[in-house]
Amino acid sequence: MFDALFRFLFELSPIVFSQGEFRFAATTGSYVAAAAIAVAAGLTLVAYRRAHGHGRPGQRVTLAAIRLAILALILVCMFRPLLVVKAAVPQQNFIGVLLDDSRSMQIADANGQPRASYVKSEFGAADRGTLKALSDRFTVRTFRFSNAPSRTTQESDLTFGGSQSRLGAALSGVRQELAGLPVAGLVMVTDGADTADAALGEAILGLKAEGLPVFTIGVGHETLSKDIQVGRVVTPKTALKGTTLMVDVVLSQSGFDGQKVKLDVEDEGTLVSTQEVTLPNAGTPASVPVRFTVNEAGPRVLRFRVSPQPGELVTENNSREALIDVRDRKEKILYFEGEPRFEYKFIRRAIPDKDNVIVTSLIRTADNKYMRQGVDSPDELVAAFPKTREELFAYRSLIIGSLEAAALTGDQLRMISEFVDRRGGGLLMLGGPRAFAEGGYAGTAVSDVLPVVLDRGRVQPKGTVQRLTVRPTRAGSGTAVTQLGATEAASAEKWNSLPGVTAVNRIDAVKPGATVLLMGTDESRAERPMLIFQRYGRGKSFAFLPQDSWVWQMHASIAVDDMTHENFWRQLLRWLVDGVPDQVEPALTTERVDPGEAATLTANVVDPSFVELNDAAVTATVTGPDGTIQDVPMSWDGEHAGQYQATLATKAPGWYEAKIEATRGGKPVGSAVTHFRAAPGDAEYFDATMHAATLRRIADETGGHFYDASNTSTLADDLRYTGRGVTTVEEHELWHLPIVLILLVGLLCAEWGYRRVVGLA
Amino acid sequence: MSSAWRNAIVIGIVCCGVVSASDWTFAKDPAGEPKVEYDGRFAFVRLRYGPAVDMSAGYGRYRREPPWMHDFPRADFHFLKILSEITFVRTYIDEGTIVTLDDPDLAMFPVAYMSEPGFWTMSDAELEGLRNYLNKGGFIIFDDFRGNHIENLLFQMRRVMPASQFRKLDISHPIFHSFFEIKELDPNSGYYAQMGATEWFGMFEDNDPQKRLIAIANNNHDLGELWEYSDTGYMPVDLSNEAYKFGVNYVVYAMTH
Repeated sequence: MFDALFRFLFELSPIVFSQGEFRFAATTGSYVAAAAIAVAAGLTLVAYRRAHGHGRPGQRVTLAAIRLAILALILVCMFRPLLVVKAAVPQQNFIGVLLDDSRSMQIADANGQPRASYVKSEFGAADRGTLKALSDRFTVRTFRFSNAPSRTTQESDLTFGGSQSRLGAALSGVRQELAGLPVAGLVMVTDGADTADAALGEAILGLKAEGLPVFTIGVGHETLSKDIQVGRVVTPKTALKGTTLMVDVVLSQSGFDGQKVKLDVEDEGTLVSTQEVTLPNAGTPASVPVRFTVNEAGPRVLRFRVSPQPGELVTENNSREALIDVRDRKEKILYFEGEPRFEYKFIRRAIPDKDNVIVTSLIRTADNKYMRQGVDSPDELVAAFPKTREELFAYRSLIIGSLEAAALTGDQLRMISEFVDRRGGGLLMLGGPRAFAEGGYAGTAVSDVLPVVLDRGRVQPKGTVQRLTVRPTRAGSGTAVTQLGATEAASAEKWNSLPGVTAVNRIDAVKPGATVLLMGTDESRAERPMLIFQRYGRGKSFAFLPQDSWVWQMHASIAVDDMTHENFWRQLLRWLVDGVPDQVEPALTTERVDPGEAATLTANVVDPSFVELNDAAVTATVTGPDGTIQDVPMSWDGEHAGQYQATLATKAPGWYEAKIEATRGGKPVGSAVTHFRAAPGDAEYFDATMHAATLRRIADETGGHFYDASNTSTLADDLRYTGRGVTTVEEHELWHLPIVLILLVGLLCAEWGYRRVVGLA
Repeated sequence: MSSAWRNAIVIGIVCCGVVSASDWTFAKDPAGEPKVEYDGRFAFVRLRYGPAVDMSAGYGRYRREPPWMHDFPRADFHFLKILSEITFVRTYIDEGTIVTLDDPDLAMFPVAYMSEPGFWTMSDAELEGLRNYLNKGGFIIFDDFRGNHIENLLFQMRRVMPASQFRKLDISHPIFHSFFEIKELDPNSGYYAQMGATEWFGMFEDNDPQKRLIAIANNNHDLGELWEYSDTGYMPVDLSNEAYKFGVNYVVYAMTH
């Protein structure tokens, strides 16, 4: 609209004006005319000054100003203003045309036709539509792009099957391809959905440096009329077998406000969870908590899916996949309890013998008298609580029960702090008369780690107990640990029916970064935090205040087969060990690459006391889907302590297993296994609307212009005035532009109209 | 047993002697029997049951307290003092708790003690209460029975746990090593050894000896009697000490398994 109006008023497109240079081509007559206009202006001023009896002074000033403006406009025209632009010489210059060949171009939102239809009809052959207009003026080089650009010479090259749209890579690639040629500019025809990991900015910088403008054509609509999208799913990269996960699934939609749909979770095709959800309003993504249990070990692809609804334009974005490495191994938690009590017994009892979480416990039954349970060897914990970091850091998490701080040495307290901060372990402190501030932990290294504020001056008076009912907070309701029922409603009902507990520790405040998951309400209706969580350093810490959660098992109101207590503790202890790193901890930049692409594998390597090692020998043994095995050495990246890196090539599609082994001085440090897969991605279908903002940005920053696909008629002309390539100078007279005539007539009419209004006609 | 432990026990016994039975006071529930208000500490819970023979209705030398109440409260209080002195178990002191098997409050105390189960009878509600208690994680100690009294105990427990049975325990079981290292199970060491060999029977969760004990029974023995008179000099100190060792081990085992 703006372009059309501009073109009507100025007879040229805005691009010509932005590229051109203003000049005046004055002649002798111009100066004669200037003198005459000066005389006319002087007479005007004198005349209005003498006309005392006609109108007020302000009215005469206004009329004089209008008259002077008319004379000034005529004066400018008499000096012959010119717009001087460099115009490309026909057929002497090249342009690069980049056509999006990715899968999202198959979406049928271009007047009911696939986006690809527009590309084919306008750019499919040199004798069609926009490409013909370009070909008439330039030598055209056509490229298709998805992952990377490649030359295309015929329509059949376009398959619209690419699994990615890498706009930046495409622009950089074509720029390099056309280097050395007189290129007037680039034309990019796309929906603008960039799925590249790297930022687009780098490519734009290169284009700007070279002064190469990009003219972008957006295909498709900026909103889809009817669509449901599973926008984002955040899952842990690894999980212990049998873990119940609580995952937030972000749903968005258009055209289905308030509609109820089924959200399913499939584990390698097996339905593991289904629930009915009400879709949010259009444009307002909603987070839906979904709970499921991973019971099968190995690399598992979890699919979160909403069934396609009638009329949906894109059904491929109704599901999203996530890879979770489900580990079937034993993870040991050290539980140090300071006194025989039923909480100890029932926590141990909640974890089955064959569970993947092993609770190795050390309980102090009397002064300097300990009982060990769940130890692997006669020597384990034989000297009570570990005295070295190597010994303590062998465990993945630590529970401290009702044990006073004085029972630990200063170094042991620091070790516990480092266990969380440096080793990345989980720490859980349980409520009890010897725990928290009541147990003397205020001011110790452990209090720094805990998610609650300890104050040695504010403790629970001895012999008093708080009697509380416990409920999840809003934040807690979104975590697996508070899920006590099959559904959210069943879980809430279960919490409401649980018997009360007692607490003997006073907690008035939690740390700024901590989250209260369970809140207790005491007999005076005061609220007290009962389960608090925070991340600390590499690890995490919890505080659990009730001293007798076992009543959720024993109380007369609890049925014999009720699993509330067991489920709560299994879930909490799994969270405690979740994500705790090994000595060799792998990480992948992405869990999926396109077949043929390389995956980047990194691994952090530390010694038994979790000090980073930069001199280890690290090798990744990669087993491909076809059984081929290759050993890839990993080298220290030179920047991050203990971080090793390697690039792993893929060939066949399927799963790849990378076993990373680290040695130092010939002695093994540790090993780890990770998985990734080579498969086409489905990112193209997510946020699959036409991204006008991205395309405008590319055009604006490079000096080009953005066009909607429905209005590209001026593209070929605009490209002539980029000022690049082989050019000739064009002069455009401006004095006879419609805008000048309109201004002149407008001023005359304004003068006449004003005179009529003020009675000076 | 080390001399340190022996000394500790003796000191505990002496302490117990300071308190006379007449000084003991306790809160009573509406039924008129003592019951502590749960606050997280360990309580000695004595189970009350309707006896098959109401011996309290007798006359003269046959008149006595009901069998479930035998040795109460001195045995209970003495044991609590010893337990709190020797171990880190936090206990109520000089406060007794008497509940029936169908009392919902029983659930708040996962270790219970029954005296003279030879006279034990149960209503259906009590049967259900005990079954739930044991299945959820409770532990029961049967003490003070002799001769053929065990037959009634076995009969009643068959009603409670039809799929389980009492098994004779040997010294290797962890309950005999949970706090004190008990070296042997002497068949002649029981209070009623003259009426038959002293034996220890246990019932296991799911009837699986690899799992935790849910009940222990001292046949031909009476720990409560030895605890009750441990401060009087009527009983040899060694016998009292041994009785405390078993009691402490039972409780520590029940709180850790």
